[in-house]
This record gives sequence, structure tokens and C-alpha cells, in this order.
Amino acid sequence: MKLTLNWLKEFVSFKNPPEQIAEMLTMAGFEVESLTPLRTEKGEADDWLMEVAVTPNRGDCLGILGLAREVAALTGAPVKLPPPARYALDGSIRSLVDVKISSPRLCPRYSARIVRDIHVGPSPTWMRDRLEACGIRSINNVVDITNYVMLETGQPLHAFDLDRLKSKRIVVRQAGNIRKFKTLDGVERELAPEDLLICDGDMPVAIAGVMGGMESEVQISTKVVLLESAHFDPISVRRTAKRLELHTEASHRFERGVDPEGTLYALDRAVLLLAQFAKGVPIQGTIDRYPRRVKATAILLKDSKVQRLLGMEMKRSEVEKIIKSLGLKVQQRSKSGLKVIAPSYRRDLSREADLIEELARLYGYEKIPSTLPLVRPQGSRADSHLSRERKVRSFLIGEGVTELINLPFASNAMNLRFPGLWQGRASPVPILNPLVQENSEMRLSLIPGLIQNLRTHMAQRLKSFWGFELGKVFCSNNGNDLPTERQQLAILLHGHRERKGLKAKEEEPLDFADAKGLLEGIMDILGRGDQAIWSHNSLPSFLHPGKAAWLNWGDSRLGYLGEFHPDLCEELDLPHFFIMELDFEKLLQYAPPKLTARSLPRFPSVERDLAVVVDEGFPAQRIISWIKDQGDPLIEDVQVFDQYRGSPIPEGKKSLAYRVCYRAEERTLTDAEVGALHQDLILQIGQAFGAQLRT
Amino acid sequence: MEDSLQVLKQEILDRIGHCNSEQEVEDLRVEYLGRKGRLTLLLRGLKDVPPEQRPQRGAKLNELKVLFEEKIGDRLKESRQAEKERVLREERVDITLPGNRWERGGAHPISLVMDETVDVFLRMGFEIARGPDIEDDYHNFEALNMPKDHPARGMWDTFFISEDCVLRTHTSPVQIRVMEKRRPPLQIIAPGAVYRHDDDATHSPMFHQVEGFMVDGQISFSDLKGVLTHFLRQVFEEKIGVRFRPSFFPFTEPSAEIDIACVLCGGRGRTADGQLCRVCKGSGWLEILGAGMIHPQVFRFVGYDPEKVSGFAFGMGVERIAMLKYGIEDIRLFFQNDVRFLRQFR
Repeated sequence: MKLTLNWLKEFVSFKNPPEQIAEMLTMAGFEVESLTPLRTEKGEADDWLMEVAVTPNRGDCLGILGLAREVAALTGAPVKLPPPARYALDGSIRSLVDVKISSPRLCPRYSARIVRDIHVGPSPTWMRDRLEACGIRSINNVVDITNYVMLETGQPLHAFDLDRLKSKRIVVRQAGNIRKFKTLDGVERELAPEDLLICDGDMPVAIAGVMGGMESEVQISTKVVLLESAHFDPISVRRTAKRLELHTEASHRFERGVDPEGTLYALDRAVLLLAQFAKGVPIQGTIDRYPRRVKATAILLKDSKVQRLLGMEMKRSEVEKIIKSLGLKVQQRSKSGLKVIAPSYRRDLSREADLIEELARLYGYEKIPSTLPLVRPQGSRADSHLSRERKVRSFLIGEGVTELINLPFASNAMNLRFPGLWQGRASPVPILNPLVQENSEMRLSLIPGLIQNLRTHMAQRLKSFWGFELGKVFCSNNGNDLPTERQQLAILLHGHRERKGLKAKEEEPLDFADAKGLLEGIMDILGRGDQAIWSHNSLPSFLHPGKAAWLNWGDSRLGYLGEFHPDLCEELDLPHFFIMELDFEKLLQYAPPKLTARSLPRFPSVERDLAVVVDEGFPAQRIISWIKDQGDPLIEDVQVFDQYRGSPIPEGKKSLAYRVCYRAEERTLTDAEVGALHQDLILQIGQAFGAQLRT
Repeated sequence: MEDSLQVLKQEILDRIGHCNSEQEVEDLRVEYLGRKGRLTLLLRGLKDVPPEQRPQRGAKLNELKVLFEEKIGDRLKESRQAEKERVLREERVDITLPGNRWERGGAHPISLVMDETVDVFLRMGFEIARGPDIEDDYHNFEALNMPKDHPARGMWDTFFISEDCVLRTHTSPVQIRVMEKRRPPLQIIAPGAVYRHDDDATHSPMFHQVEGFMVDGQISFSDLKGVLTHFLRQVFEEKIGVRFRPSFFPFTEPSAEIDIACVLCGGRGRTADGQLCRVCKGSGWLEILGAGMIHPQVFRFVGYDPEKVSGFAFGMGVERIAMLKYGIEDIRLFFQNDVRFLRQFR
């Protein structure tokens, strides 16, 4: 809401300097967004333009009068009203027009007056200046006056050219079977049956509270004007304005609540101005249909509640002073509190809490003390999700991977290609009103976002890009319930991990084991590094069929890891890279809730190596699993530590070397004992796998 | 005779003193104590000395020999030490060359600020709660005292999934979800992503909020002031100016907007050179938090009796705090995910 301070002074005679008024309003909940001097042609500042943010509950302050009441409450200066028309004149309005309200719920009040012998022309300069300063375009004196009075009172007015209303019978009704109406901006609007219309007989002439019609608009030839000053139901106006996407100064005010008692003052004020600045002659009498008068109800304001909500005791005298300064009336006083009645322009005040807010607001938030409450935790455990999330994040950052946050929107094509970790056929969640049509779904997977990030970095010719995202993915439940959301962790690795310092020796290209190592690190942090199962079965089609794997836990899929399919890289014009996507929530689910320390062994271990020659496709893990399955209590650990191909190993074969760690809990193993054990183990492996042993 | 030994002693001591290397010391030893060394010869010549002078001269010569060997030994030690030191000195590295290390990744500033924010409240005894990003109309609006067609719904531009389902426009629905399940006392902090149908230099369609609330028998507006002032001083600085002013949210009453003194101009509204401060646009204040006492209607929706409990709630934009804390001017930088930008945050 924009206004000038001189204009405000016509409604309240304050003496405070402009900056002080702005500060007072801001601290009373009307944030003054700007205060700029308005200069005359000679460059003197003779007025100030103030822009005030009016919150949606304060429709009464969408007129200068409302803000004047606030200033009065804040400064103690009295509110004054500029004069309305008080002419005794010829004729009678009743013989000229009739008004009927068919939907009193949607139109509780309809007031109207007529002014004849109008001379339509430009408005006086001062009026034009004020309107334009306040952001309203000057049209002609009649329209300008309706806008001017709306800015003053907050009451939207509409002027009809009475000669263009054929039947002279105003009917306020819902559209029903009237389907179309051309508003004064020249657009033909589709109506809904419940829209409230102002009709001339059967002909619609305005959408109530939103916009007038083209056919009855005031034009240069207009001589007689019918002025409407009505009260419409906020919800009805909002529905209509929203559906038609027609947000006007009038609808903005009606939606937020206009003072139903204010129609006549606004009407008379406009009539006076029409007489003064459009040479109009007012017709005697006013039509005022007021089928639904809203009765003000008393609100109980308890001292105890004031104290409980504000955390301070407020003296009764202070309470009454504030109540009265706002124009509220104390109807009854008792030991425990007051009964208060709010004026018609403060429809937002209906509950005790509303009044307490007014007390706090005018008393000053600054003066309310600052205390620390007693926090009473209910003994819940510390949040392990949060701490694990943080551990994994800082591990990855330490490993050279940068944390990314992408918008969770994806295109349908990307969702089809990257369905993520959802079991079965996942259906994405569509957005009804996406920002760009291209990204009209919620992502099923974090991968498309990371690929987009890789692309951005390629465009900058960076040699490597290591990034991760810990974010939500979404899957539809086909309209039942809310969609399912899961938190996932995805990592993309392209190029070498960057080093600082002098050039090191030539590095090996990034391979599967590097990516797997990172994932093992995460599993370690979550305490279950050793129990993952890796599988090659039915890999996602976007992964390299040879260099990719599922990470399973029992029958459950925790995630996948692998090189991006080279064909797809080519198709999408991307360099080679590795990706992994993990169901972070499931990972946490399987993580042990607490960590138990093992004491250190008392006796030394003995390590022995063995090497086997196996077929190229033989998985190294099989021998480890087999040894562990034997359950020999003296074998503490088995690790594979080397893989070798080439001479003298025959073509199609490879050599795998394992290190077995022997230890007894209660004694030191002798060399001879370990030698025998190891020999035995080698023989058994030879038999179990038909593997040729290397020595 | 006595004098000549005295001269020899002086000569030896001088020459040892002038040796510069192990080799020179060794040469000197050979020269005096070698098979044909001068001292060796003198000792050998003792047999030609008259017997009555022999013991005295023998003793003197021996004394000289012992002294000589001792000095030679010391000198050798010294010169070996010097040699070691020289070698070590020659191994000197260029300490201005860079160290070898792996480049580390960057933390996202949003995560950093979110962690910091949440931690302040966890230290005060609050608990974490989470809610879905896709919310139903009831939790996002209606139970927060915004029935359908409420003008306040226009305060948020909303992404719709269906007529009844939206991308949550704020983290406040978590309040409702927690209160539906639990009874007071409650002290909850709820971080998360929120969505608005908006995209420019100061608005992103997705951003992050931290919502917090506290409900108990006697929680008051003054408690709200105390808790949030403490929070702002922890996150910004101890002495930062904090201002509470009235505002409006449908789900709180009284409602407040909380400002901090501008981080750039310190609340003066103008920078040192007299220019209007570009961060606070001259007002001296920056809006940082929205808050208020939970509206009685909201309590009724979750089945609490507003005559028996009271509470406050607040919400803050994480991006906004990060922008002010780190001097970031364009919100879109957060979601462009440029590693060069993100590596600054560690």
C-alpha cells in the first residue's frame, strides 16, 4: 500500500517527522518498505511517499483511513474524516434505479447514489499526482475519483454509466446460466455458476468486487453516473478472482475484508468529489440495501491469559489504554478480565489471542522481557540418523568428494532411463504446475542431477569431478496416500582424485576398485563393512555390464555401483565415469545400533600365503567365503592380496594370492603347527575348487 | 731442552687448532705419532738421554703424548660432527615448495548452516523431527489455520502434485505431524527442503528451512524472545542487534518478524563511504526469522486445549542465513553446484 504523508495528514494530524512515523509503523507490524521525498518542480521536498507492507489480516489498512487509525493509536493524535457530500438536491433516486440483492450471503450490503450532469474529463493535477504516486494510472475524473476514494477509505467503488444500463434495475446474483462476460479490459471471461455478478435486469454489468463491464463503463460522453459502494463476501471474491486470474485493486481489498459499515461514507465522499471536480449534480437520496448486518460479539480478555501468552504482567490500566486507542470498546469489567467489543472495521479481531496480539503490538515487542524457558526433554535418544549422515558426509569430503544439492525435479525421459532403486516398476510423481515443462516430475533417482553437474563441469574443462548428493527421491503410490520418499546417497566419480603439491608419478586410471573402495569406506563407517554381498545379476542397463555390481544385504538391494555404460556415454556425449546410488535409509536400517569394542589378542598371529591358478571368471571372494565357512577357530582372517595374469600363467587363467592369518586365543602357535594347518588348507582348497596351486 | 718441549707442545696445539678436516687431523697424527713421527722419534731417542734425566724427560714426553692424543681425539670428534652437520645441511629441502596431499572435497554451505543451526537447538535440549517434502493440503495449509480460499495462502506460490497434494511450502507442517502424535512438553527442531513456484536471483524453487517449536504449560512470548536471541547470537555474533516486530502468520498469534542488525553496515544503513548499504538497502536491519505464539486454532486441530498449553514456533530460511553469513549474493549459486564455489566451504 502506497500513500503520501500529506494525504495521511488529512486523516490524522500528527506532528512527528516522517522517519519517526515510518519507524513507529514498522514496529507496530506495518513494515515501511520505503520512504522517499516527493519533490516539487523547484526541487523542494514538500511531501513523502511511503510504501507500507500490509499483512493479509489487515484489510482495513488498505485505505489511508485504516493506517490513520493506527497512527492515531501510536501517537495519540486524533483521527479526522474529510467531509462527505451533504447536498440537499432535486429529484429522487428511487424513481431512477432499483437495487435487489438475490444472494445476501455473498453481498451483505449494497449502497448506491446517482450523480447527473457529469462532465467527464481529466482530473485535477494534484489528484493525478497522488494517484500516480500511489501506483494507479489516471483515466478520467470519474474513474480517478472512485480510485481516489478507494485509496482513502479502502472501500472499492464502481461507477456505471447509468444511461447505458437499459433496465435500470440492479440485481446482485450468482451467474447461474450466464456463461460469458466482457470485462472493461476488453477480455471475454468464462464465468462459473457461483460467480457473483451485478446485473442490469438480466444483463451482467460487473463481476462483483472484481471488475466492471465494458458495456457500462464510464466514457467521455457519460452524463449520469451510478456509484456503487458495496460489501461482498471475501471468499467468493477470492475464488472468482483466482479462477479468472484477475487480481484487481478491488478484489485485493474485498478478499482481505472491507468495513461493511464504511460503504456510505465512501459513497458520499466520492459524490462530493464528483460535484467538485466533474461538475456533477448529486441526486437526492441513497439506496442502501443491507440485508445482513453483522453483529459484533464480545471477546473475553483474561488477565491470566495475557500473562501466560506474553510472559509478563500487564497492568489493567495499560490494557484499557491500548484497547481504547484502537477504537475497541470495553463492555464489561470483572476481577479476572474484560469483555471487549471490536469495531466493524476490525473484523480480524474475534478471539482472545487476537486481542493479546494487539496488546503486545502496541505495548511494543521490544519492551516484553526476554527469558529462557525450562526445556523438558522426554528422554529420547540422540538422533543417530543425523550423526551417521554427518559422519558419511565428512568422510566423503575428506576423500575428495564434494557435496552437491540439486533441485529434485526431473524430466520424464530421465526418470524412464534412471528409475533408481525402486523395486518393481516405479512411477514418478508428476507436478501439475512445473516451472519448466521439461522438468515436470519429481526425480526417481539422484543420477540425472549428478550427470547434469558433470556436464556443467565438463563445459568448464575441469579435469576431474567427484561429487555426491544425499537427497530425497520420490515415487508415486498411484494416488493413494502421499508419495513415498526415500533418502539416497549417490556418488559420481570422473577423472583422478586431485592432488596438491609437485607432480607425482603417472597415475593409474580410475577403476572399479577405486569406486568400490569408497563404498567400502561408507560401509565401514556404518559398521557393516564386512557383510555386504556383491552381485552381478540383472544390472541396470545404464551400467557397464562387466564393471558394475549390486550391493545386497540378504535379499535386499542396498544400491548399485559401476562404470557408466560406454555406449550411453557416447550417446549422451559424456566422458567415462563411475556412479553409485545407495538407499541411505536402508543402509542405516542395517547398521548396528551400537558399537562394541573387542579386546586385543594376547598371543601373536602367524601369517601364511597361498596362491591358486583359477579360470579368468573365478570370483576371488569364493575362496575367502569357503575358508570362513569351514569355521576353523585358528583361522582369524583371510585376505586376497594379489591378482596376476600373464606368463607363466596360461591364457584364460589368473593367479590369486591369499594371506591367511592364524591365531590361537590361549597360546602361541608353533611354526610346525601352522605349517601343517596351512598345508592341509591348501590341499582342501585344491580339492574343493579343482584349483592348481602355485608355490 | 725444557724450552724445546714447551715450544713443541705449543706448536702441536696450534696446528690441531687449525685443522679443518678429518684428513688433516689424521695427517697431523701421522706427522707426530706415526712410525717416523716427531714425537715417536723423541720417545725413541729417550734411550740416548743420560739416565739421570731420563725419568723426568720421559714423564714430560709421555704427558705430551697423552695430551696430543686427547686433543687429536677431541678434534676428530668435532670435525666428524661438523662433517655430519655439513652433510645434513646439504640435504636441505626447499621449504617453499608445496606439500603433497590429496585435494579434499567441499561441504555444501547449506549443510554447514543447517548443521550449525540444528546444533544450537540440540544443545538447548531440542529434538530433531522430520516430515515429508510432499505434503497434503491439510498439513501444509488447513491445520495451520489456512482453510481453502484463505487469502494468506497467496503468501506462498505453490507447486501442486494434485488438488490435495503439494510440495510443502514451509516446514511448519512438521509441527502438526509431531503434535498429532505426541503430547507436550515438546521442543522440536525440524530442518528440511521447501518449495515455492519462483525462480530469480533471490528466489529458488527449492530452498531450505529450519522450523522449531516448543509447547508446554507456560511457554510465553518472552521465552520466544529469549530462545531466538540466544540462537542469533550463537550463529552470528555475541553482540549482534536483534529486533522483534509484529507481523502476521495465520498459524501464530502474536506473530513476529525478527531482524538482525545488518551484517555489512552494522545497522547504520550506510557504508563507510556514505553509500546506501546494498545488503539492508539502508534500513540497517535484515529480516531473518518468522515466529510467533502457536495459534489456538492450530492447537484445536491437533486436539490440544489452548487453555492448558501454549507454545511458540519459528521458521528460518537456511539460504538466507548462509548468504548473510558468507556474503553470497545470488541464491542460485547454491544449486549450480560448481565445485570451485563449494570447495570454499570446509
